[in-house]
Amino acid sequence: MAVPLGAFIAVSAVLFSIGIAGVLVRRNAVVILMCVELMLNAANLALVAFSRRGGFPDERGSVFVVFVFVVAASEVAVGLAIVLSAYRNRPTVDVDEIHAMKG
Amino acid sequence: MSYDLVGVILFAVLAIGIVGAGIGVVLLDRITASALLMAFTFLNVAGMFVLLGAETIAAFQVLIYVGAITVLILYGVMFTPQRERAYALFFQTQWPWAALVVAPLGIGVALVGLSFRDRATAVPAGGDLDALATSIFRDFAFPFEVASVLLLAAMIGAIVLVRRDD
Amino acid sequence: MPEGPFGLDPAIWAVVRLVIALALLVVVVLNGALSQVYIERKVQAFIQNRYGPIHTGPWGLLQTVADAVKLLGKEDIRARLTDRWFFLSAPGIVFSPMLASWVVIPFAPGLVGADLNIGLLYLATLGSMTVLGIVIAGWASNNKYSLIGGLRSGGQLISYEVPQILSLVTVAMLVGSLSMVDIVDAQPGWQLTVFILPLAFLTYFIAGLAETNRNPFDLPEAESELVAGFLTEYSGMRYAVFFMAEYGEVSVVSAIVATLWFGGWHGPFVDTAGPLLGPVLGVLWFTLKTYAFVLVFMWIRATLPRFRIDQLMALCWKLLIPATLTNLLVTAVLLLAFPGSLLPVAIANWIMLGLFVLAIPLFQRRRLASLRARLRAAA
Repeated sequence: MAVPLGAFIAVSAVLFSIGIAGVLVRRNAVVILMCVELMLNAANLALVAFSRRGGFPDERGSVFVVFVFVVAASEVAVGLAIVLSAYRNRPTVDVDEIHAMKG
Repeated sequence: MSYDLVGVILFAVLAIGIVGAGIGVVLLDRITASALLMAFTFLNVAGMFVLLGAETIAAFQVLIYVGAITVLILYGVMFTPQRERAYALFFQTQWPWAALVVAPLGIGVALVGLSFRDRATAVPAGGDLDALATSIFRDFAFPFEVASVLLLAAMIGAIVLVRRDD
Repeated sequence: MPEGPFGLDPAIWAVVRLVIALALLVVVVLNGALSQVYIERKVQAFIQNRYGPIHTGPWGLLQTVADAVKLLGKEDIRARLTDRWFFLSAPGIVFSPMLASWVVIPFAPGLVGADLNIGLLYLATLGSMTVLGIVIAGWASNNKYSLIGGLRSGGQLISYEVPQILSLVTVAMLVGSLSMVDIVDAQPGWQLTVFILPLAFLTYFIAGLAETNRNPFDLPEAESELVAGFLTEYSGMRYAVFFMAEYGEVSVVSAIVATLWFGGWHGPFVDTAGPLLGPVLGVLWFTLKTYAFVLVFMWIRATLPRFRIDQLMALCWKLLIPATLTNLLVTAVLLLAFPGSLLPVAIANWIMLGLFVLAIPLFQRRRLASLRARLRAAA
């Protein structure tokens, strides 16, 4: 008995849901960034798993994972920069309190 | 004892690690514990990649997520105040609605995903490195260059955003 | 049914092999740390014209054993205001990647834990995980010295990873493989990579010094300014784990240098000595080469003063990264332009090495001039 493809997809779906839940319910901006990273990771897992579908590996799925890595690195750098500059204007990282469109 | 069984056991351990640590990231009050559990999730996903025969991707995963992104997020944790707060303020106000939306969505997608019965452990002979490199530098050479421009733009943007105007 | 070695089932043999390898690894690494501490103290003493440890055992040989026993017997202290999760996990996060690095390093023909085809990438990956442990240790200690040490270390390690990986890429391009075994096989006899890519060797070695937090890059634990940096709050066995990780990292970097640029286990009589003696000789040559570089590390520690943090960053971003990038570009172009001949690559690399070495004093003079100008403007 080998692990079927569906099991990987299911884990990926559960991880993605956890990420969405974290983004929707947590107040701390840094934790929200972490949850976005979890969602990207879930997408990576699904991409790699599907690129292995049907017994003949096709690396084009993995290439997209490499691009997701690039996007994730840019996202976390810019995201943290935004959190830090927002914190500099108002001393809070609570997303419910950061609602002004201008500082 | 066969290798297939070892694969199933490893998969189960990694899946429990991913889901458990992911839930921990969302539910734990200590942000430091959240960050550590996030790094743990990344490591487990890298383990999943190895199970799928994508060890190059697994190495990139650890290099970028654990070595760079987790460290960046830790810097974010250090530079912003993380004071203790009342548990009532832990979640945003719309958390019941969020749970109502997310739970059916996650379960639904997971059920659809489980319907794929193909073998997923078709490990390419000799690793995935050659095929991946050929794919990136032949079929996806232009997107690859664009991705490097994106990284440069993100770097400059981050520096501009956090720079103090002395 | 297929049979593995000693008539065992392959599945059982895989487990047995894993246990043997782990046991060997732990013994080698722990003994390596012990002997390196002793050698380091003796070498420092020799350079500083004193005796070093002489009292415990013959020639002081048992001194480090006594120190280890003392550290083992110490009380396990954790200050109350430290962050429990981070504080307890940091030593493990620093130590385990170092241990895992040994898996891909070939000790002798056929004697390698796993011949991964992504060997070099694997090593780079594990090197980057150390940063996480050190930053966590610095922050968890809830101590200003530790925090500054951890943050400095984070900046330093992330910066120096860039020239390090770029130097590794140059070698991978030359050999056409990331597998450590292939890299060793590509250097039989006198065809060592160091003759072809000397600049990459120099930049990797400098970056390796910084990656292992050794002098002259030991700012994270600069004892004259930061007590002990991120190590300040650690004591007893946790401190010893950090210590072993540091010495282990030194051995790993030396082993990588010996493998990539100096032919790994290649040496006289390895190929002709027969199936049993050959691997033994291979291990011997490999160990000798590795420890030669460990000695260079110690020599540098005794010779050079510590950098300042801005000098450290300037060296990396303004000198090492441009140099490695140029080296990478020139080597790549020449490898494509002259397939089958390594002579143009070698000539270009030696010229670039000369330019790099000549550039250092010029670079320093320009930096000094700009510093003086700034001081004058301030005064």
